[in-house]
Amino acid sequence: MSAAAEVALGYEPQAGSGLPGERIWIEAGGSHVVPAVGAALKPVLLAAVIELRPRKDARVVVLGAETGSLPEKARAALRAQVAFLPAGGGLLSNLNAWENITLPIGYHEPKRARGLASQVYALLEQFGADARALLAKLPESMTPDERMLAGYVRMRLGRPRLVLGEDPGGAPGASERRRAAAFAAAYLADCPEGTFVQLQEDASDGSG
Amino acid sequence: MIGVYRDIEGSMRLAGHVLRRFWVLKLPPVAEELVRQIYFTGASATTTIVIRGALIGTLIIAYVIEVLNADAALAVKLLLLVVLREIGPLIAAVLVIQRSGTAVATELALMKISGEVASLRHLRIDPQDYLVVPRVAGIALANTALTVYVQFIAVGGGMVLAALVIDASLEELAANFFLLASPLDVVYSVAKSLLFGAAIGVIACYYGLNPPGNSVNAVPKAAISAVTQATLAVMLLNVVFAYLVYGSALFGLFTADQ
Repeated sequence: MSAAAEVALGYEPQAGSGLPGERIWIEAGGSHVVPAVGAALKPVLLAAVIELRPRKDARVVVLGAETGSLPEKARAALRAQVAFLPAGGGLLSNLNAWENITLPIGYHEPKRARGLASQVYALLEQFGADARALLAKLPESMTPDERMLAGYVRMRLGRPRLVLGEDPGGAPGASERRRAAAFAAAYLADCPEGTFVQLQEDASDGSG
Repeated sequence: MIGVYRDIEGSMRLAGHVLRRFWVLKLPPVAEELVRQIYFTGASATTTIVIRGALIGTLIIAYVIEVLNADAALAVKLLLLVVLREIGPLIAAVLVIQRSGTAVATELALMKISGEVASLRHLRIDPQDYLVVPRVAGIALANTALTVYVQFIAVGGGMVLAALVIDASLEELAANFFLLASPLDVVYSVAKSLLFGAAIGVIACYYGLNPPGNSVNAVPKAAISAVTQATLAVMLLNVVFAYLVYGSALFGLFTADQ
């Protein structure tokens, strides 16, 4: 068994458990890539690391905590410190960008939601977006880049210590990939103690 | 058969969740969803639903008066017993199932298939809190308001029609109606409409969140199941209410003056 103290993300399926993937062990801090995350492994990782659903057939460590033995209260507190950044932004189609961005804060910390506008504008403008126009748009009228940016800003407002980023796909050097790398860099510049983990798609996995 | 039990159990669990977590309506994003649902089910549908409901209610009265050769007293009794207590809530509920039940089941099934429900979980938001509680509350409230509109217009329309076809003035019919009606009729209608609306909301949300598959084909199937089962639930609830009022000890409360 490896020490968990300085680990941002650890996933170790038990031998013979039938779980997909191999051991993943990522130390806290900086940007990391987990290569070849197939369609079977991604939902398992998201359920274990983002939703912190307890597993008996794998050892899962998140931000130094063994999640298998975590009490419910500590699990809830830990969940607030991890975030998932989907390639498509993960926006709800019936909400505009502003409603999408402020949804989790409005739900978990309603008092904090009132003073978010300046922070949201600053984060959007950091990436050269016309904040006023973007915030009024529904996801269906946004470009893929705008959806991704809205998802990024929403993630940033949550102030997570561990971020799992979904591979945007496309060729190396494609604009989506450059944008994803820029998000990781901006996150780490503003939260130097944070950890950004990019889940790279398995190229041999047709279903992604 | 197992599927039927599973669906009933699932719907009951969802109803329990709504009751337990009703307080989430005070959270701003959930309250916004509630307002959206009330607007969609109630405000934006008022004209079409009320006109259709009132026409059906008035037609039923016209037929019944003709078939039974009713006099003023019977016409008023029909308006109270048939239109106000039974047809009004039932018509409003059926029209809400057609419009909002289908829309909610379709919307939620699409959200489930497109990964939006999973996105909510990733944001630590319980999809049942954010999607189900405001929809059930919104449909229940809007259904009650629509029922009142339908009753008002159907009873009014029925009275005007009755005044035209039988030997009684509109004033006489209205006076008889208000003499016969009691506050309990209002309580009965409101309780029934709230329960009908809540049942429609729970069933539509249950089938929407549990589509039979992960492809687009599952969406219309979820909508069809929601409409069928919500209609059945409303009919069953109506029978239970009818039994409570006409077939049990409560009968005396509603018939003491009649």
